[in-house]
Amino acid sequence: MAAVEHATIAEAAPAPRGMLFRHARMQRVAALFLAPAAAFLLVLIAYPLCNVLWLSFRYANLVDPSTVGFAGFDNYDTILSDEEFAPALWHTFTWTGLSVAGEYALGLASAIALAQPIRGRAIFRGIVVVPWVIPIAVAGLNWIWLLNPDYGLINSWMVRLGLLAHPRDWLGGIDTALLAVTFVNVWRSFPFYTISILAALQAIPPDLHEAAAMDGAGPIRRFLVITMPHLKAVSLTLIFLHIIWTAINFDFIWVMTAGGPLNSSQTLPVMIYKYAMQDHDVGAACALASMSMSFMAAMFFMYYYSVRRKGAR
Amino acid sequence: MRLLKIGLLVGALMTPLLASAVRAEPVTLDFWVAWDPTQADAKAAIGQIADFEKSHPNIKIKTQTIAFDALHDKLTASVAAGQAPDLSWGLVEWLGELNRMNALADLTPYAAKWPERDKIYPNALQALTIDGKLLALPNYLGLRGLLYHEDQLKQAGVAAPPKTWAELLDAAQKIKQTTGKFGFGIAGRGVRSPQELLMYLAQNDAEIAKRQPDGKYKNDWAENSDEMKRVTEVFALYRQLLDKGAMPPQAAGWGWEEEDTNFSLGQYAMVIDGAWMSGRAQQNPVQMKDVRVVPPPAGLKPATFFEINPFFVYKGKHPEETWEFASFMLSHAFQGAVNPNRSPRMDVEGDEIWGKPFTSLTPIGVSFPPVALGSITRDMEESIGRVLLKNEDPASVAAWLGKAVNKSLRQTGEISSQ
Amino acid sequence: MVVSRSQNLFRATLTYATLIFFCFFCLFPFLWMLDTALKPAAEVMSDRPSFLIAAPTLENFESILFDSDFAIYFRNSLIVAIASTLLTLTVSVFSSYALSRWGRYAVAKAVGGALLVSQMIPGVLLLVPLYVLMQRLGLLSTYWALILVYCTFMIPLVTFMLKGFFDGVPFELEEAAEMDGCSRVGFIWRILLPLSAPGVLATSAFAFIAAWNEFMFGYVLINDDGHRTLTPGIMLFRGSHQTNWGLLMAASVLAVVPVAIAFVYLQRFLVEGLSAGAVKG
Repeated sequence: MAAVEHATIAEAAPAPRGMLFRHARMQRVAALFLAPAAAFLLVLIAYPLCNVLWLSFRYANLVDPSTVGFAGFDNYDTILSDEEFAPALWHTFTWTGLSVAGEYALGLASAIALAQPIRGRAIFRGIVVVPWVIPIAVAGLNWIWLLNPDYGLINSWMVRLGLLAHPRDWLGGIDTALLAVTFVNVWRSFPFYTISILAALQAIPPDLHEAAAMDGAGPIRRFLVITMPHLKAVSLTLIFLHIIWTAINFDFIWVMTAGGPLNSSQTLPVMIYKYAMQDHDVGAACALASMSMSFMAAMFFMYYYSVRRKGAR
Repeated sequence: MRLLKIGLLVGALMTPLLASAVRAEPVTLDFWVAWDPTQADAKAAIGQIADFEKSHPNIKIKTQTIAFDALHDKLTASVAAGQAPDLSWGLVEWLGELNRMNALADLTPYAAKWPERDKIYPNALQALTIDGKLLALPNYLGLRGLLYHEDQLKQAGVAAPPKTWAELLDAAQKIKQTTGKFGFGIAGRGVRSPQELLMYLAQNDAEIAKRQPDGKYKNDWAENSDEMKRVTEVFALYRQLLDKGAMPPQAAGWGWEEEDTNFSLGQYAMVIDGAWMSGRAQQNPVQMKDVRVVPPPAGLKPATFFEINPFFVYKGKHPEETWEFASFMLSHAFQGAVNPNRSPRMDVEGDEIWGKPFTSLTPIGVSFPPVALGSITRDMEESIGRVLLKNEDPASVAAWLGKAVNKSLRQTGEISSQ
Repeated sequence: MVVSRSQNLFRATLTYATLIFFCFFCLFPFLWMLDTALKPAAEVMSDRPSFLIAAPTLENFESILFDSDFAIYFRNSLIVAIASTLLTLTVSVFSSYALSRWGRYAVAKAVGGALLVSQMIPGVLLLVPLYVLMQRLGLLSTYWALILVYCTFMIPLVTFMLKGFFDGVPFELEEAAEMDGCSRVGFIWRILLPLSAPGVLATSAFAFIAAWNEFMFGYVLINDDGHRTLTPGIMLFRGSHQTNWGLLMAASVLAVVPVAIAFVYLQRFLVEGLSAGAVKG
């Protein structure tokens, strides 16, 4: 820290040679400021990551210590020939797509309602945040209890209302398990969208709306012409971040269904976990992880360059 | 020179102090358990362990409660990282796996000197032995019997509990018709579902993997069409239970927990279950007072699942102290207090309902083959799901399971080449 | 505003209807949690569940508070969440300042890129290597294991959020401070941070929630009841032979309520803070 204290800008000399000197010095300070973050990344992400990549090309089965050494693409082959791989990939898309779409729709609707100048706004805003502060493990357990086919409230209500003839095991049915977990994920995650979109809504200058209203624009038109363009940046960021977070999320599915029944709610992270911790085939787990990561990275660069191209235009 | 003298003097003074300090330092043993601290057996065990610490001041026991569902993954992770506890609870299904990970201590030399060895059921010790090495000790015996609510059977006019699969289906249907409650329940999911499946397979004279002359294992249903037919019958039984309304449809998604809870609340009449249900009888005395236990209904022959729930003892720094504690947990005093009804000791027999009816089933008990089971048990679970949830043809599920078992054996390098 | 009365009325009704729907949607699972926690064991397992309780009881709360390790888990979660939030903030203030002021430098581009990419790595993937790493460092079953891991996963996002706020602080201010002979760290501490206080608060709230809610690493890296955090701790209340839903829900209520109350109060700053900067980028 002492070095940083001395790095005052005032010390820089005024001459052009000084400018150059100052520039080099700035770079050193920048490096120093970035060093702690970089250290975290190197030790706790880059190093384990290299480990993973390295292992994906080696035989590393904890229960079969006799087979070791270089595996070439064998581990990748194990994954690609696993009949669960294609369904898991498809589940990951469904889970991510439906979650993000649902979260965005609810987040937008609630944010717009909360932005209206009405009585009791603070209380409503407080209540909408509640699901987001409930830990995933707790939310998962709570919904397991709500959806329980024998004693759960939801099934009982639906039967009494005549929506269902018999209680249904939502988390235990092949067709419904993934959808049920997705629904719970939407329930828990949408308030983050609400807060962010609400913040962006408040940053829109009110006179814009007034001016548009003067010109005779109706509420729907004003929403499309004024509100949505202002929300574009925050929406893109939110959606992009959540696509990544949802696709790599493990907790929700693990707590609620552990990927079951019959792997009908198994996504790639759950599959990685099972390969590593239950089959002890670390090599295959790493191969699967490497594939899913490169896919993410590819998506990210596509997004990044498309945004940049649009920005440049 | 003077300094050296002082140094020597201080050193000489300190040595006995240090030595005694080292000797007095108690050994701490990590013991991972999966009990429910609010239950009677856990409370009794905690009390017994406190007594043990009093009588063995050189040993401290540090218990960690870990949920059963999390135990397997936590154990294998800690073993892989070289951080295994000294002892842990577990399932016998994990024995082969932990053995292949080279994590377990060889208890044979200790057992040879153990005066109480002949008090333990020999087949329990046998099931925990691989290649002549004793690798774990029995914690409790989970023999499975048919538990039934006598009142519900009487109400439905079923005079005696079913003795065969056909009688079971018949009785369950009668109960559903007269009482409106379901007659039978199963675990379609979780650790108990493969255990139940193994029992039905054994009742129809089928084995999940057979030991071959080369000492390795193989599933040979594909080569043995008679056995394949008998396996198909087992899956057909599951299908019939569902189709004929003998069990509630949601039972396909039940784990051990739902199976036990719903039975103990009297939601259905019959279940294949273990002696731990006595804990439920204490919690729900009213609903459980009419419960009786008989041998499970048989297929071609009588058989039941013999769960030898083990203590695993790991390769650690304090083998002597660990053995001391492990053998204490098999003492008459400990077993009598903690496992009165499901003790692996022959001289702890238990009471008329929760003890003898179960322990008397020991001769017909079957267990998993001693291979690394990891994905085999998951394949068995999946096969039940394929029959019940996906409505796949029993014959094709049987063929699928045989292939899946061999695939898993190949993955762990335990497949026989013969 | 040029809106008719009837239009106003329609709009208010619609708004209230939407908000009431959302309140029900957000709160009813929580209310059911509370309701179950207040029921005696016999009423919890009922064929016809209802919100009505014949004999409400506090025994679930009592046994959670007095007969279990709940208080220890709660304390551990608090320690880990606060410590990792503070550490994350400390590290991220410097990195985001560097990214905000010197974003064109190669070193900033490299670290910034690495931070972005690190968001894409599934935590599950690093589970085994991190477990082994922590074991080698002798940090398994310590607070540090979780604090370090949570920091690593939070630093990227917090850095980018803070960068948004720092970008909003005009450069001229810094030049003026420079004229007055203020050091760079002095500028960050005395001018930059106070100016972006709402943003920093919102960011730390986010980091705190993320650490408080994390389950997987807490579940795998901690094998010691004395250091176990709340989320894996609550999973433990699903005992080995049966789930006591009353107890579980009582523990959940106790875990959720303090944080929920804090956030209901804080959400105002959260929205203002985010509104001030981050979302513009």
